[in-house]
Amino acid sequence: MARGGAALQRGAERRRYAFGMEALDASAAEAPEALVARRIAAAAPGAARDAEAELYRLLAPRARRYGMRHLRDGDAAADLMQHVMALTIEQLRSGALREPERVASFVLGACRMTVIEQRRLERRRGDLLERYANDLPIADIHVAPRLDHRRVADCLDRLPERERSVLVMTFYDDAPADAIAGEIGLSAGNVRVIRHRGLDKLRRCVDGGARVTS
Amino acid sequence: MSATMVAGHLPIETLLAWWLHETDAADTDAVDEHLLRCDACGETLDALVGLADGVRAAFKAGLVGAIASGDFIARLASRGHRVREYRLPCNGGVDCTVAPDDELLVAHLETPLQDVDRLDAVVTLSFAPDVQHRLEDVPFDAQAGEVLWLPKFDLIRNAPAHTAEVTLLSVDADAAHELGRYTFRHQPWPGG
Repeated sequence: MARGGAALQRGAERRRYAFGMEALDASAAEAPEALVARRIAAAAPGAARDAEAELYRLLAPRARRYGMRHLRDGDAAADLMQHVMALTIEQLRSGALREPERVASFVLGACRMTVIEQRRLERRRGDLLERYANDLPIADIHVAPRLDHRRVADCLDRLPERERSVLVMTFYDDAPADAIAGEIGLSAGNVRVIRHRGLDKLRRCVDGGARVTS
Repeated sequence: MSATMVAGHLPIETLLAWWLHETDAADTDAVDEHLLRCDACGETLDALVGLADGVRAAFKAGLVGAIASGDFIARLASRGHRVREYRLPCNGGVDCTVAPDDELLVAHLETPLQDVDRLDAVVTLSFAPDVQHRLEDVPFDAQAGEVLWLPKFDLIRNAPAHTAEVTLLSVDADAAHELGRYTFRHQPWPGG
């Protein structure tokens, strides 16, 4: 990871202040990712490959979730995840992340900055991936399996009409309650209550195959 | 964070509100922070998002019927969905079909709704005249003057010629009052 390291470090120096890392409690300092980050920082650059893969396994899914929520696109979320993990490992290897136990805060800050600067960084992120893609210790990460949509449909069928309609209108395009409420003559609070009830029944039905009762 | 945390984990309502962009900036930041440290909540979120994907896939496949709003149909159309719509006046009927490239079927059932408290719909099909499918307490906008019924598209697409009758009922504590009756004379797409 020699090429581009200086640029990354300069970016990280700027970001170290922007991230506003807060006081770290004792449990966070002993979290698995903090322990693994210390091992990477203590090793010679690139020598702790197992620890880097472990860090990736621990933190990459969390960065992906952040990306899914804030970018609403699976490919963009995957790019964000790769970028942030490459940056994090680079910072640990080089010693620029001086308190490795704060690695989760660093990742969150990197996610935030990357999303905020998404357009400006578009070219730079591509460059980073191009440079480091072959050097990233990518490990398999857990992604929730897709559900059988026929089973979901069967469970939806068992819900009361209001709950089914609210869930369909909510999840079709991830619409918030206040967007739906006025459309079907309900308050946003009512939509949330109906949504919560329906979701609870749907989860139990899909998870357990149990019959849903209204 | 305004929501109560249970045993150090976020309630699913909070995760859902965060996912749907209902949280304010401070709560969004707090959930972002929590999810960067808590795999249990992350996995709950993954399951929630997976369920949302399942609902979306089931609806797109035409396996789910629903009552929806005009704005929802407009959102679908704006995303390029091929929507076949039929508008029926109160007590009206229509000859209808489903084209091979249609993706959604919507029936606009026009009826006055201003004084309606609870609305039910009863569906009967000519090939099973003794069976009534009753949709109870369906959502509606009293100002809209219509109910938008989205039948199970997959079922209709593959159905033989038949007649479906939908009756809208205003239900109060004492009785149900018929608001309108709508007849769909379905023919399969020629050569389909």
